[in-house]
Amino acid sequence: MSVFVRLTSIILLYSVFACEAAETAGGRWEGSIQIPGSEFPLIVDLDQVAGQTWAGSVIIPGLGVKGAPLTDLSVGDSEISFTIKAALANERTGPAKFKGRVTSPGQLTGDFLQAGNTATCVLQKTGPPQVELPRKSTAIRHEFEGAWKGDYEMDGYPRHVTLTLANHNPGSASAKLVIVGKQTNDVPVELVTEEDGLLTIKSPEFGINYEGRFRKEVSEINGTFTLGPFELPLVLRRASANAR
Amino acid sequence: MKIFRFIVALLAFLAGGVCQAQSMFRGNPAHTGVYAGPAPRQFHRIKWKFPTGDRIVSSPVWSDGVVYFGGDDGNIYAVATQTGRQIWKQATGGPSPSTPAVIDGTLYVVSYDGKLYALNSHTGAVRWKFVTGGERRFEAKGLNGLQPKNQTVADPFDVFLSSPVVVQGAVYFGSGDGHLYAVEAASGDLRWKFQTGDVVHASPAFADGVLYFGSWDSYFYAVDAATGKEKWRFHGGEDPVLHNQVGFQSSPAVANGVVYTGCRDAQLHALDAATGKEKWHFDNALSWVISSPAVSDGRVFFATSDSSLYHVVDALTGKPILRQQDKAYMFSSPTIAGDVVFIGVLNGTLQARDLKTGDVLWDFQTETSKQNKAWVLTADRRFNDPLLYHSIWREAPIVATDRQFGIGAIFSSPLVVDGVVYFGSTDGYLYALE
Repeated sequence: MSVFVRLTSIILLYSVFACEAAETAGGRWEGSIQIPGSEFPLIVDLDQVAGQTWAGSVIIPGLGVKGAPLTDLSVGDSEISFTIKAALANERTGPAKFKGRVTSPGQLTGDFLQAGNTATCVLQKTGPPQVELPRKSTAIRHEFEGAWKGDYEMDGYPRHVTLTLANHNPGSASAKLVIVGKQTNDVPVELVTEEDGLLTIKSPEFGINYEGRFRKEVSEINGTFTLGPFELPLVLRRASANAR
Repeated sequence: MKIFRFIVALLAFLAGGVCQAQSMFRGNPAHTGVYAGPAPRQFHRIKWKFPTGDRIVSSPVWSDGVVYFGGDDGNIYAVATQTGRQIWKQATGGPSPSTPAVIDGTLYVVSYDGKLYALNSHTGAVRWKFVTGGERRFEAKGLNGLQPKNQTVADPFDVFLSSPVVVQGAVYFGSGDGHLYAVEAASGDLRWKFQTGDVVHASPAFADGVLYFGSWDSYFYAVDAATGKEKWRFHGGEDPVLHNQVGFQSSPAVANGVVYTGCRDAQLHALDAATGKEKWHFDNALSWVISSPAVSDGRVFFATSDSSLYHVVDALTGKPILRQQDKAYMFSSPTIAGDVVFIGVLNGTLQARDLKTGDVLWDFQTETSKQNKAWVLTADRRFNDPLLYHSIWREAPIVATDRQFGIGAIFSSPLVVDGVVYFGSTDGYLYALE
């Protein structure tokens, strides 16, 4: 019996402590990453979605990072760690990471890792969280669904585009984008949205965007294909209509 | 007796007409990049390091116990090889990322003030100045995809100025005004000038009375050294959209009737010296070849920028002999001395590679590179691109490039004399390693 009571007390105490840690972690944290010869300001927002799952985003003024989502976010007994995949990273460097702990009320201290380099990072809690949740794909109008084909020319070479759009439950669309030029590129699409008839496809990894509107009278999507600094008109027609 | 007389005459001609092996860019007028050995196969110590006021992009040259080089602080320096002490400095009107040539007591060098300087090599006193149409960097709208795309951008990677070659009483050099100049070595009077369509920052190579050089107008030229008349031209790659894959920044080397040159079109071209016909090209998959090739024993040695590869290829066929992956861009040109090849890397490392295997025998990292301020480098000495190039807008990429270069980068092509390796770094020091 006494063992049971002791266990129950430990569990209760642990949950109280964990709750405190969770409450402690939530908020806006501001400070800096102290790298050799320089300091980067760092703002981290942490919050519990619906009081349960942790979510977070990061701002690094001066490095073009605003609202980058935190992944692998872990909030333990005063320990906090996360990964930033959407910024400060490429294939060679891998993602940036933070691992730290609440060292005193309102102070979070840890190590910031990027490209194999490590620096101390000290953050102070400055207010309530302002987490930016990543934008999600939306459903698209029925007329956009299906396979589309089009062509554009870049640097003197023709490129053939195939875009396949589909709606899924619950209310979000996906896209498969293939561009065939000198080689075949399966372009990873991160976001598909449709707002007021404007279809938008985004692939941050390839620096590719496409925006287009459906023209009912000719059954085409008329739009603009953007690759880095290049903007090109791109008309997409039903793949079946292109078949010879 | 006749043979003896011939040898004496030949020696006299060479002494009076051509620089010593270490006294001009790439070691000789043909720019083969081969220096007399021995070369250190092991690193022992820094013999000395000589501080200047700004970055050093120029390559050092040697004559009679003195090393000479240009500084981006606007000075030309003469430093004693034994002590590392300054003998003299002479101010020019701008940075001098040009490699001097020293002959018959006169030093010739180009400065960003648009002038060719002739200095007394013993005192630094100005003998004469020759004024060109003015220096400028290669520039283009939307260069390398930078934004806004209608903005003309000066190329931050156009780092070198042409290095003069001095042969038979004339000084030959290129200019940002688009000309190749031939100037009287004694007086500074213009002999002739040859116009191209864009910046000429490559250094002309000389062989059998012909000058070989490339321009940023996408053409590579062969010009008669006596008359300045064009003998032939070769068309390299073009890139009308990004202006990235165009232009000859590399300086050529000439050996056995073949001209070898790198190009921003990502090729190493081998051209027939007599006709300009391409014998072969070596494709580097969109990676620039800025470094000037070295040629020795039927092999061509060169390195690439973005792909950071060190290559050795067969001089006759262009077939690969060896390829080594490095960590950062190489703009420095390989120097062959004895059985060692030296090359500078833009991450602030000087490398000594075995001539045959290409293996790194030793490397030396500048202190600035070790400090890795602002995390310009990754922990394994590659460029930290996500931190550097986080924006393609306005000045951000230019600032990033400047930070990249400030890591103690070695653009300078190493000089080897009596077993000591000399080179400059963007940390502002000229190093002597042994």
